[in-house]
Amino acid sequence: MDAVAHFFQSIPVDLLIIQTVNGVVTGMILALVASGLTLIFGIMDVVNFAHGELFMLGAYVGVLVLTATGSFWIALVLSALIVALLGAAIQVATLRPLLGRDSLNTILATFGISLILQNYALWQFGPVARKIGEPITSHFNLFYLTYPWYRILIALLSAAIIGGFWLFLKYGKYGVWIRATTQDRVMAQAMGIPVPMVYTAVFAIGAAMAAASGVLFAPLVSVNHTMGLDWVLKAFIVVVIGGMGNLGGSIGAAIFISLLEAYAAIWVDPSQAVIVSFVVLILTLLFRPTGLFVPTPK
Amino acid sequence: MTEKWKDEEGAQNFWYRGKVTRRRVIGWGGGAIGAVMLVPAPWRAAFGAAKPYKIGSEQPLSGAGAAGGKTALVGLQMAVDRINQMAGIMDRPIELVIADDESKPDVARRKTQKMVEEDKIDVHVGGFLSNICLACMPVWEEAKIVNMISVCLDTTLTTSKCNRYSFRVHDYAPAQAVAFGPMLAKMGKKWHIAYADYSWGQSTRDAYAAEIRKNGGEVVGTTGIPLGTADMTPFLSKISGDFDGLFGIFFGKDGVTIGNQAYDLGLAKKYKWAGDGAICESANLPALGNKIDGFVAINRYVPIFQGALDTPHHHRFFDEAKKRLAKIDRSGPLPDRYVQSNYEAMNALKHGMEMSKFETREDTMKLIEALEGLEMKLSDDFPQGDKTLRKADHQAFLNQFLYTVKGGQFELFEMVPKDKTIVPPACKFPAA
Repeated sequence: MDAVAHFFQSIPVDLLIIQTVNGVVTGMILALVASGLTLIFGIMDVVNFAHGELFMLGAYVGVLVLTATGSFWIALVLSALIVALLGAAIQVATLRPLLGRDSLNTILATFGISLILQNYALWQFGPVARKIGEPITSHFNLFYLTYPWYRILIALLSAAIIGGFWLFLKYGKYGVWIRATTQDRVMAQAMGIPVPMVYTAVFAIGAAMAAASGVLFAPLVSVNHTMGLDWVLKAFIVVVIGGMGNLGGSIGAAIFISLLEAYAAIWVDPSQAVIVSFVVLILTLLFRPTGLFVPTPK
Repeated sequence: MTEKWKDEEGAQNFWYRGKVTRRRVIGWGGGAIGAVMLVPAPWRAAFGAAKPYKIGSEQPLSGAGAAGGKTALVGLQMAVDRINQMAGIMDRPIELVIADDESKPDVARRKTQKMVEEDKIDVHVGGFLSNICLACMPVWEEAKIVNMISVCLDTTLTTSKCNRYSFRVHDYAPAQAVAFGPMLAKMGKKWHIAYADYSWGQSTRDAYAAEIRKNGGEVVGTTGIPLGTADMTPFLSKISGDFDGLFGIFFGKDGVTIGNQAYDLGLAKKYKWAGDGAICESANLPALGNKIDGFVAINRYVPIFQGALDTPHHHRFFDEAKKRLAKIDRSGPLPDRYVQSNYEAMNALKHGMEMSKFETREDTMKLIEALEGLEMKLSDDFPQGDKTLRKADHQAFLNQFLYTVKGGQFELFEMVPKDKTIVPPACKFPAA
C-alpha cells in the first residue's frame, strides 16, 4: 500500500496537467481526422488509404486561399469545400465503379490515389514547406511552459465541427439518409434513398473533415507533401479501437488513446509511449474485435 | 511540272531500266552497314561521340526525404550540365544514372545493386539520408566503386564504419562541434540537447556533447525525437529545469516542427536557442516565419553574400542554382547546403578523375589515390571555399559559418576557417 501511495505522490502534478491538456488537444485533432475515415468505412465499407493525402491537400488549398484572401477562416471553409468537391470527384471516378467488388480492390484504388496525390503535391508545390499562420498568437502560462491558445482553439473547433456533424446526422434530412444507409443499404434503397448519391456525399464529407483538420493543424507544423502520413496511421488505429464505422466510438477512442500516450510519456520516453496505442490495438483485436465502444456480438 | 522530272532521260535510265532494284538496295545497304561495324574502335572514337562516363546517383526522390532529395539533385545536375558544357571529363561526357531510393534503406540497397550490376556505373555520387548511406556503403566497397557521399552527415561514415571506397567532401559533426564549441560555451554552461533520433542525430548529439564538455560546459539532458514526429509537444513539454541553452539537431520538416513548437511552448524564449543550421535551412524559412528569429546556427553553407561568401564564384553559383530551383518550386527557394554539397561533390570527383586519368572501374584504385589528400581551392568548382579531403579517413575539412536569423534573414557572426575545425582521424581502413 505504501508503494502505491508513494507512486501517486511521486507523480508531478504540473506535468500531469500539461500532459492532460496535450492529450485532449491531440485527441480532438485525431478525432476529426478519424471521424471522416470511420464515416467512409461505416457507409461504404471502403478503407480509405488516401485520407492522409486529403488532409495534406486541405492544408495546401488552405495555403493558397490564405495567400489570396489573408483570412484563416475563409481558408478553413473554402479548403473544406474544395477538397469535398475533389473527394466527390474521386468517389465517382474511381470508387463507384468498384462498388460490390472485393474490398481489396478499393484498398488498392485508394492506395494508388494516395500515391498520385502525394506526388502531385510535390510536383505542383515543390519541396519547400509552406506555412499557415495561426489566427491567434497569444499564450497563457501553464506551469513552466507558455502554452499557445491556438492549441486550445483547435480542440474547441474540432469539437464544434464534430458536434455540428452529429447534429446533422441526427436531425438533418440528409443525415437521416446517411444513417439509414449505414443501418441497411438495401432497405434504404427500397425506401427511395439514392444510395449511390449518399456514398458520394459521404466521401465528400469525409474529405472535407480531413481538409479542415489539415488546415487547423498546419500552423503547428508545416505544410508539406508527407504531412498526412503522420496522422493517418494513428487515425486507423483509432478507427479500429473505436469500432469500424462507429463515429462516437472513434471520437472516444481518439481521446482515450491520446490521453493514454500523454500519461505514459510522464514516466517513459514519449517515443516509447506510442507503444501504448499498439498494445491497446492488439488487446482490442483480441478481446473486443468489433471495437471498444461497440458490444461484442454473442 | 512536278511530275515532269520522271520523263527526263536520266530519270528514265535511273529508275526504269532496272539499275535500282530492291535486291541491289538491300545488298549495298547491308554492305555499308557491315563496313561501318567493321571500322576499328579507335576510328569510331575519333570520329564518333565519345563514350560517356556513367555516374550513378542515389537520391530520395519520393517518401519522407523527397523534398531534400529533389533539391540535392538540382546541385548535382547543375554540376553535370556545367561539366558537359565544358567538354566533359577528358572529352568524355557524363551520363547520370539516377535512382530513387524512396527514402528506404532496403530499396536503396536493391537499387545500388542494380546500378552496379545492370547499369554498370563507373562511380557513384549521392546519398542523402544517413541510414541509407550506411546501408549502401558495403555494396560500393564490395563492387570496388568509388562512392562520393554528397549529403549524409552521420559521423561514423568516416570513422568507425569508414572504408577505402567512400569519401565525404562536406563536413561532419565532430568538425562542426569543434567550430561551434567556443561560441556555445560563451552562450551558456548547461545545455539540453534535442535531436532527431536516428543515426545522424545520435552521432551529432555525441559530438556536441563531447565538445560542450571540453569547453567547460555540461549537458544536463537529452531528448531524442523520432524522425517524422508530427506533434513534438509531448517531448518538448518534458524539457524543463535549470539549464542555459537548448541545442537542436534536426533537418527537413522536423526542423520546421521543432522551430515552431519550441517557440510555441516558450522554450525558444526561456533558453538560449542554438543548433544545426539544417533547422533554419533556407527551404525551411518560409514555414518558420519569425518563430525562428534569434536562433544561433552553424552551417557549411549559407545563401548570403557576407564575409568569405561574398565572392564572384559564389554569386555565379547562387544565381544559377536559384534559377534552377525556381523550376522545381515556384516560391523561388534559395540554394541550401544540399545543393552546394552535391554540386561540389561532383566537381571533386571530376578533379580526381582527371588527375588519375580514370577510364573505367578498373581504374578505381588510381582514382582513390588521386582523391586522397585532394586540395580544393575556392573557384567556380568550389564556391563554398577551400577544402581538404584528408587521406586518413576520406573526410573533408572546410570553412564553417556561425550565424543567426533575424526577420527571416541570415546574419553572419563569424567564419571559422577549415584549419580550426580539424579533429583527429578515427578511421582504420579494412585491409584490401
